[in-house]
Amino acid sequence: MLVVLRHAPHGSSWLREGLDVALVGAAFGQAVTLLFLGDGVEALVRNQQAGALGQKGTHPTLDMLAMYDIEKLLVDSESLAERGLTLEDLQLPVAPIAAQALPALFAEHAAVFNF
Amino acid sequence: MLLHLLNRSPASSLVHRDTLRAMGEEDRLLLIEDGVYGALMPLADRFEAIHGRLFALREDLASRGLDGRCDARVTVVDMEGFVTLTEESERTVSWF
Amino acid sequence: MRYALLVQGAPYSHQAAHSALRFADALIARGHRLETVFFYHDGVYNASRLASPPQDEPHLVDAWRRLNEQQGTALLVCVAAALRRGLLDEREAKRHGKQGYSLEAPFELTGVGQLVDAGITHDRLITFSP
Repeated sequence: MLVVLRHAPHGSSWLREGLDVALVGAAFGQAVTLLFLGDGVEALVRNQQAGALGQKGTHPTLDMLAMYDIEKLLVDSESLAERGLTLEDLQLPVAPIAAQALPALFAEHAAVFNF
Repeated sequence: MLLHLLNRSPASSLVHRDTLRAMGEEDRLLLIEDGVYGALMPLADRFEAIHGRLFALREDLASRGLDGRCDARVTVVDMEGFVTLTEESERTVSWF
Repeated sequence: MRYALLVQGAPYSHQAAHSALRFADALIARGHRLETVFFYHDGVYNASRLASPPQDEPHLVDAWRRLNEQQGTALLVCVAAALRRGLLDEREAKRHGKQGYSLEAPFELTGVGQLVDAGITHDRLITFSP
């Protein structure tokens, strides 16, 4: 299954709830691909912290992905470039994916969850 | 072939750009809710790349006072047509 | 075909729940089965037993209930999203030491695993988001 994360951390719960679907999918034995697209690439930026009120944030969850055998992590190159980010700015090793490859990615998964 | 649903106006959100980039050559796009604002000119030009594969939901146009004002390139469907589009597509992907 | 819907918008705040209910009626009219509706994110508010809209507005909670009566549609509410937002059934209310409860059958608290399952086992999964 493909889980697409399109929201930045902290501003809303979309990112956390999308990650939860990915983790649960993996725990249920599904092969999970994660795609960081649009503002979702901000989830990968280094040096994130908990929110000032104690909101947990999502950066600790990213460290758990490997534990859940979620190893196919893709980041949309254009989304990175638009935001002035490079792969060196990211806290995890993720594979860049070019715009031309996106349609095939959406087509080849039996289930797509777009958050 | 996938069906994509978009509920944001291209005048207020850039999500349509990600939608278009994710769409395959046969994929279709149905505009619903505030997405139907994209069915009118000049915003409909943003969807030039998917000419012939762009749909808009009639009841969302009508409730917004837009019935009959769609660009000629947009196919208007009713709720039954929406269901038919989901039948004909392997999967549906929602963009919001 | 066997359909599942994922509803992520709160009722009366966004159109998502209205669209989902319209789509539900249309798919049933075309002879399909609506087997599952999964409520996630702010969509969990659709399950509030205390929702009291004005009489001249559609009662969305009752509309979901009717689907369950007509089709046996499972109305599944993500427990993690629901508890955070104050949607508790009698059992959870007791467990958390709360006096009232805000969610009741035919809505059921369940895990995200049921959403993953719906995405894989149903012929179609359609998402309605705010």
